[in-house]
Amino acid sequence: MKKLHVPSWVTLLLRNSKSRLGLGILLGILLLAAIGPYFAAKDPNAFSLLDARQAPSWHHLFGTTDQGSDIFAQVSVGARRSLLLGIAAATLATGVATIVGVLAAYAGGIVDDALNSLINIFLVLPPIPLLVVVSGFLKSRGLWTMVLALGLVLWAFEARILRSQALSLRNRDFVNAAKASGEPTRRIIFGELMPNMTSRIAAAWVLVFYISLLTDAGLEFLGLGQLDKPSWGVTLYWAQTNSAVLQGEWWSFVFPGAAIALTVIGLVLLLSGIDEVSNPRLRAEKTRHSFFARMRYALMGGRVAPHAEAS
Amino acid sequence: MSAAATPERSELEVRGLRKEFAVGGGLFTRERVHAVDDVSFTLKPGRVTALVGESGSGKSTVARLLLRLYEPSGGSVLYDGRDITSNRGRGATLDYRSKVQMIFQDPFDSLNPVKTIHHHLARPLAVHKIVPGKKIDERVNELLDTVGLVPPEKFAAKYPHELSGGQRQRVSIARALAVEPTVVVADEPTSMLDVSIRIGILNLILELKEQHGLAFLYVTHDLASARYVADDVLVMYAGQIVEQGPIDDVLESPRHPYTQLLLSAVPDPSLEAEARVELSTGQQTAAIDPTAGCRFRARCPLAIQICGEVTPQLVDQGGGRAARCHVTAPA
Amino acid sequence: MTVSLIDTPGSTGSARSSETLIEVRGLRVEYGIERPVRAVDGVDLDIRAGEIVGLAGESGCGKTTVANAILQVLRPPGHIVGGSIRFRGQEIAGLDEESLRKFRWRNVSMVFQSAMNALNPVLRVGAQFVDMMQAHERISKKDALKRAGDLLEIVGIDRRRVDSYPHQLSGGMRQRVIIAMALALEPELVIMDEPTTALDVVIQREILQQIQDLQRERGFAVLFITHDLSLLMEVADRIAIMYAGEAVELSAASELRTNPQHPYTVGLIESFPPLTGPRMRLTGIPGTPPDLGEPQVGCRFKARCPYHDPNDAKLYDRQNTERPVLREIAPAHFVACHRVEAGT
Repeated sequence: MKKLHVPSWVTLLLRNSKSRLGLGILLGILLLAAIGPYFAAKDPNAFSLLDARQAPSWHHLFGTTDQGSDIFAQVSVGARRSLLLGIAAATLATGVATIVGVLAAYAGGIVDDALNSLINIFLVLPPIPLLVVVSGFLKSRGLWTMVLALGLVLWAFEARILRSQALSLRNRDFVNAAKASGEPTRRIIFGELMPNMTSRIAAAWVLVFYISLLTDAGLEFLGLGQLDKPSWGVTLYWAQTNSAVLQGEWWSFVFPGAAIALTVIGLVLLLSGIDEVSNPRLRAEKTRHSFFARMRYALMGGRVAPHAEAS
Repeated sequence: MSAAATPERSELEVRGLRKEFAVGGGLFTRERVHAVDDVSFTLKPGRVTALVGESGSGKSTVARLLLRLYEPSGGSVLYDGRDITSNRGRGATLDYRSKVQMIFQDPFDSLNPVKTIHHHLARPLAVHKIVPGKKIDERVNELLDTVGLVPPEKFAAKYPHELSGGQRQRVSIARALAVEPTVVVADEPTSMLDVSIRIGILNLILELKEQHGLAFLYVTHDLASARYVADDVLVMYAGQIVEQGPIDDVLESPRHPYTQLLLSAVPDPSLEAEARVELSTGQQTAAIDPTAGCRFRARCPLAIQICGEVTPQLVDQGGGRAARCHVTAPA
Repeated sequence: MTVSLIDTPGSTGSARSSETLIEVRGLRVEYGIERPVRAVDGVDLDIRAGEIVGLAGESGCGKTTVANAILQVLRPPGHIVGGSIRFRGQEIAGLDEESLRKFRWRNVSMVFQSAMNALNPVLRVGAQFVDMMQAHERISKKDALKRAGDLLEIVGIDRRRVDSYPHQLSGGMRQRVIIAMALALEPELVIMDEPTTALDVVIQREILQQIQDLQRERGFAVLFITHDLSLLMEVADRIAIMYAGEAVELSAASELRTNPQHPYTVGLIESFPPLTGPRMRLTGIPGTPPDLGEPQVGCRFKARCPYHDPNDAKLYDRQNTERPVLREIAPAHFVACHRVEAGT
């Protein structure tokens, strides 16, 4: 049988136990989004007072809302929208942040001053009023309006961080060496500089993804959201509005909350794998040292060795 | 690189090179530091010229100017008789970059931590089309062989953090050699290496000079290592060349008081304690907005009145020697 | 455990006695527990009052680790796994935090390699002195600042610099500041870890002169750690050479200059190109130090030693299997080398 050619980064991602776990979790979430709705076979927006406020049961796996909608349906159908929102907003914000940050750092001079000012202006603008203004500006409502709004608010923060990382990399001798070798600027930026920023860019992406998912609920309050389209944020919104906590209806916020949390945990675990792929120094051989031995060592302030000999 | 090829008669000549930087932040700063001021020298094939000075002397700036990592504020750099500072086109710059290369000081900083050694050597080969694509691997191995990193296949696959400082510096040298330059600028290539490793790198430089007829500019603060590798020496202070000549002559009978100071400061256990020149402590005259007069006067035991009024010129004293001092090398 | 010796403010040792201040025996230090690297493997060292002991070696030989162990400032994952360190007969290694705090800086202080690492960039110089002094004794801020000014003058800096921030001082001045700080409580021993390596050669010369003058005046002992052996031979009374975590040679500086015995010492001395005399090709020392993460057998220098020759079967065998031990081959001259021992 012909051997499958697997790129080395895939192997590395799978070899790292943390990223393996992360990939597993994400796969689970994606599965939920893909086939969950068929499994639920219920309309997430169904209005049925008879079924309202039911705790999880075989009939309603995740219970029902105050309106009688099946939460499992909401979470699984909502997964698609939430994930799409998160991915799109994260990609937009991180993309812009990377372009602006790296450009500012590499070009220097007036370009840097101008872009830096732009970043600072956006940082200073209070996010909520900005969102309100944007929502008033954009007549339509919908997923893409939200993506745009989120991207607009969240890019500047990361741009500043990426710019400073790019600045410190630009002054390193290996960049000068590439220049002295005659490498064209474009290749220096993409081939030499940015591979050193992969970890940070990935982390930025995950952060924006996370914020987007959380803000989803907040956007409803600002009138930017669409309450009729199910998403994790919408389910959380309704749980909040209906005082689910006070009522003891834990199922209406725990499940969507867990969905968000699990997704982000999966991504964060994946990040450690990405770190290893992008930074060869982290690809160390690991030895099997017991968890307790390591804990004890850490707690002792590193003074007592596990195997110290008597003086 | 064929050792049998006759070295081209190309020289790198620097005339009146100047570089000024603005000092301090703010849009309206007026202060300028004259990092490099009226520097002239020639690098000839098969000879190592040492550029000696302390930090702040401008020696590293000269090195980077030669590599066109900075643009000069004045003066010219002539390669093969042509002024390259007027080069604007990418083609011409690329051509220059295939002739003049650099070895950087920090062995770790000068290699990209996320790229293999193979990448570092293959890129210059590809950019300058030194060999066709399918021959790149072979040439990479040859280069690693030349600098003593054997077996080359093993080293090519490694990442910088897997190599020792000395090995990384050899990779830097191999990278510089990849484009088949005629001039190599070595910016303190051994100062961050362990003592016992330094000689190996210096011997490699000597070998490259002798067998491949390369011209070297060896930038350093260490006179002893300069003497080991170099034929000629240029002594820099506060942006200016204060003395130059064949290195053994200069070290034996230094004319400029700063050269004498440097010589006496080097630890040499064979030297008797009394033979050391008495050091006068005092502020180093900054090269910031320099006024007329000698920049070394504040520390100079020989300073006379004219030293505070007229900037001394570099005076030719025959036998390739020159010094910039009213007292020991009057015009 | 009360330690009476440490409560007394450090004496300046005006009488140049030959009493032993520091006695290190069989020191073993490891880094990490996953795959421990034994950075120091059985080092013996004595430092007597008023003397300058040089500790020479290249990166990874363990010299900085020894210094940090003496002052008990080893950073995790570094920890002492064996041996003893005594100050005036008192064991340091097991001391409680309070006694250690008193011990540090009063009895033994340290000058670090990079002043910018030791100085807080956002505090004025004077404030840092005050902080340090008030940590060790009851002293008013005014008095502490005055003392700080005195100390700056002692190291040749204008006392008004007490108000400067570290970045406003030149590299050489910063180094003098931390030397002044190390001397503030008049310790008996000052450990200097590459105090001049980051400085230009002329400034280095000035600082060294300063250190020598101060040492002569105040009589403190110095443990001078550096890779620059030629510097040590000028400055030190006794020199210990370290290689791969062991001490391989120990003798008076003058003796080491004229009669180095260990092949590593010889190789190291010959790695310094001479400024005068005939020009000749040097060889340095081929190869690299061993990986201390791997268990070491026999002589650690054998891979790079010119006398490691299978033709000399008996010696070869011994080098491969038996670890050399420091032996006195001449008065006060110790060498850890099988070949030297055999008297070849």
